[in-house]
Amino acid sequence: MRVRKGLSAVAVALVAALAATGCGGSDSGGSGKTTVTMWTYPVIFDEAKHRAHWDETIKAFQAANPDIEVKTEIFPWANRDQALATAIAGNKGPDVVYLIPDQLPKYARNIEPVDKYLDEATKSDLHENVVQSVSIDGKMMGAPILTSASTPICNKKVFAAVGETTYPTSWNDLLTLAPKFKAKGYDITAYVGDAKQTLNQTFYPLLWQAGGDVFSPDGKSVAFNSDAGKKALGFVKQLVDGGYVDKSLITAVPPIEQTRIAQNKVGCMWSTPVAEVEKFWGKENIQVVPHFTDTRQIGYGTVGSLSMLRNAKDKEAAGKWLAFATNAEQTKKYDLASGFFSPRKSTGPLFADDPVLGEQEKQVGASTVGPLHEKARDVQGVLSPEIQAALLGKKSVEQALDDAAKAAAPLLG
Amino acid sequence: MTDTITPPAAPAAEPASRRDRIRRPYRAGHASRGWVVGRTALLVVGAVVTLFPFYAMVVLSFKPTGPVTFPDSLLPWPFSPEAYDQVIGAKSVLRWMWNTVVYSVVSVVGVLLFASMAGYAFAKKRFPGKETMFWSFLAMLMVPYHVTMIPTFIIISELNGVDTYWGMIVPTLANAQAVFLMRQFIASLPDSLFEAARLDGCSEWRVYVSIVLPLIKPILATLGVFVFLWHWNDFLWPLIVGQSLDMRTLTTGIASLQQENVALNMLLAGSVVAFVPIFMAYLIGQRHFQEGVSTTGIKG
Amino acid sequence: MVALPGSRGRRVRRPSAREAGTALLFVLPFLLLFAVFRFGPAIAGVVLGFTDYTIGGETGFVGLENFRRLVDDPTFWSALRVTAVFTVLSVPLSMLASLGMAMLTRRAFRGAKLFRSIFFLPVVTSLVLAGVVFTWVFAEGGPWSRAMGAIGLPAGSWLADSVLVIPALVLVSVWSRFGYGMLILLARMQDIPAELEEAALTDGASAWQRFRYVTLPQLRPALFFVAIIETTVSFQVFDMIYVMTGGGPVRSSYSLVYLLYDQGFKYFDLGYASAVGVALFVMTIIVALIQRLTLGREE
Repeated sequence: MRVRKGLSAVAVALVAALAATGCGGSDSGGSGKTTVTMWTYPVIFDEAKHRAHWDETIKAFQAANPDIEVKTEIFPWANRDQALATAIAGNKGPDVVYLIPDQLPKYARNIEPVDKYLDEATKSDLHENVVQSVSIDGKMMGAPILTSASTPICNKKVFAAVGETTYPTSWNDLLTLAPKFKAKGYDITAYVGDAKQTLNQTFYPLLWQAGGDVFSPDGKSVAFNSDAGKKALGFVKQLVDGGYVDKSLITAVPPIEQTRIAQNKVGCMWSTPVAEVEKFWGKENIQVVPHFTDTRQIGYGTVGSLSMLRNAKDKEAAGKWLAFATNAEQTKKYDLASGFFSPRKSTGPLFADDPVLGEQEKQVGASTVGPLHEKARDVQGVLSPEIQAALLGKKSVEQALDDAAKAAAPLLG
Repeated sequence: MTDTITPPAAPAAEPASRRDRIRRPYRAGHASRGWVVGRTALLVVGAVVTLFPFYAMVVLSFKPTGPVTFPDSLLPWPFSPEAYDQVIGAKSVLRWMWNTVVYSVVSVVGVLLFASMAGYAFAKKRFPGKETMFWSFLAMLMVPYHVTMIPTFIIISELNGVDTYWGMIVPTLANAQAVFLMRQFIASLPDSLFEAARLDGCSEWRVYVSIVLPLIKPILATLGVFVFLWHWNDFLWPLIVGQSLDMRTLTTGIASLQQENVALNMLLAGSVVAFVPIFMAYLIGQRHFQEGVSTTGIKG
Repeated sequence: MVALPGSRGRRVRRPSAREAGTALLFVLPFLLLFAVFRFGPAIAGVVLGFTDYTIGGETGFVGLENFRRLVDDPTFWSALRVTAVFTVLSVPLSMLASLGMAMLTRRAFRGAKLFRSIFFLPVVTSLVLAGVVFTWVFAEGGPWSRAMGAIGLPAGSWLADSVLVIPALVLVSVWSRFGYGMLILLARMQDIPAELEEAALTDGASAWQRFRYVTLPQLRPALFFVAIIETTVSFQVFDMIYVMTGGGPVRSSYSLVYLLYDQGFKYFDLGYASAVGVALFVMTIIVALIQRLTLGREE
């Protein structure tokens, strides 16, 4: 079937080329049926399981809605904004897409609010802070399907090798442990500074822990060059300069199996999800610790939601699908399979007996979804090279943050 | 979508293949022993350095997933084809190869067809505006491709061509350099060849199909190879136009694997799969490759 | 309309309407493609530089605003510097390698063809694939860092060093490009009359003198051609940077085309991206003129 579709596409291309005209789109749904396309990302780490989940969900959905085809595409996380923005620009955007709160403002004018597609029971079942984090101007921009808490995780094997039994809960603990780890040939943690990495999981948690924030409350300027910001970056720099973290991760993200993290040489990580290291550490060796504390105890955690794009071909169908895929039953299944947590009250805690995820689940309340600002991602683009510059010693911490603030100003203006 | 210039010697203008010309044996007897040894040593070093990345690519792609160390990872064992299983099974590498084939082959056919038609008219016909048109084609070669890329994307997206084969292919058919080379080549053919057929009452299209096309076979091959190679390795345009996983080409697909941080052996296995077809083509048509690229000029 | 019998002499001078018509039909398909996808976009590309075009938003002329922003943007200047340094290093190095290998494989000894084929192999290889492999080659503890460590040069990952990253990329570029220049130069060398060198030899000229005073002057046009191509290619460097460094560390390998790509297709600030394109265009012209005035002066 794939090949046939390909062949016909070549025929179309050839005809188009020969006639030197441009016309026609790809496939049209066919007799009376409408097709809803959905883009999602490796939320369930194992791709085969992820596909299986959606295949099952679609089957269940079609039992009640035989006229609606659903096509899901699983995109990689990397560069997902580029792919989505380009597709929207080219009128090839999906009907439904998985988005997290810090993307919502950027796409707000392309998003169809979902309020009228979700029933009241659903809305009251969702945790209030979850609804809030997906709402813009009082309208829900997506139907929440999961929440997460990127808590730090520590490697028990490494702690055993170093002879430590207490796990760090604050910056101070990390700094105290660091030399001991170094002496034994281990790293207390790792800081991933490559620009591909979202700052939501690397630098921003520290910034919040120090009491700072990315944007000023009115969103008209950046605030990361505050004293808190300097303190946070200074903390990372202290780790780097002391030789307590692997320097090579500041500039590049090699495949994980090539890193010291996968080689069981790193104590604790706050930027890496459990699923990514499970294979290398062994689940029994993962110790979840609460978000770190400096002046506040806080960390990153997000809300995943399915949003409908304004250009959706058949909004009714897309709305039905989106409501179905995020109903309590499907949400629970999806969250259990992906190791994320429920945005709903009715499901209760999902991982109470799981020593790893159960601990993370408790931290959802202490997590923040990050800055909700139209230019949030653009600002990351200017901030992250400056952080690199400071960590590599090219600039002082103050200089780097001030330069980043200066570069961010025209974006916000 | 090429930005190229024609070499000064313009060898393409010579219909008869240059290789066939008899040359004087180039004083081979004069080389001293020391020179031969030194030369061989330098060449061998050069060849090793040139080939090393290919060797590393293949060897490391056959490693089991795990940390790669140097130099012991360069030994062929432990040997494991698991990365190929994963990259061909779970990732869409074969689909990307198909897309690349479509993108390259259809473009080659299109470019050759339109460029030879236009080249024929420019070389052997008279019509108003001919000079102006031709020089505007040439002038456009000066404009970097990246300047036109954004408006081209906007046009394609207005026509709903993003993420389609035709959206990817059609803009690349406006290859002015191909027309230029075609014109040069056809101009060097004697007029009498066409006149005879025309006097026999052949239509212009018949003249083109049965006289012009057979006569320009050498330049078709040369230019074809060049256009093919350029499309096969093209990156930026497919990156922008082919956004969905199913519309990636080998280059953009491999780059996306790399951005996803897949394991190194998988990344390299994907690269090997992407490299094998062009390598086979190169082995078979080496002469055409070298000639095609060196006589037409290629953008990296 | 009607071609008179026996008027062929006139026909050569002035085309009949019919001939012009068929000729135009032959040109038409290409002409349309060219107008829509090359000529139009080239003009639009410059015009867009004076607008604030973003997809889906309002568009208006903003005069020189984008260019003013460009001049004030340190990222632009750093991208310009990166592109210039990369070009200045990679073009001569790659030409030197081309010339050297062309000289070495010039004569028809056994194996010469094989060596030429080997040296040309990187040219047919996509820079994305090359980038993937070279990322490993340059990684810390990889072949390059070991080799450099062994001879006392900086042993860390060159790609992670904000100064050495450009030389590392230049090496990849030379690896991938020198085979191309080599072939062009070889083709030209074959056309140098053997008598010239023989005469020089009879006069007792040394190998260096023969190269310097016979071969090199003959190669001048070919070298000029290679220089132009290589400069154009270097100016537009993108693929391997995208794969190998993502423009980092600290934007020290962030080229102009990368800036254009990011502004255009990451942030969708198409007006600003077009302004970057115009800057690239202007630079290309300036450098082409300089090259013509210096290298190509005897043409």
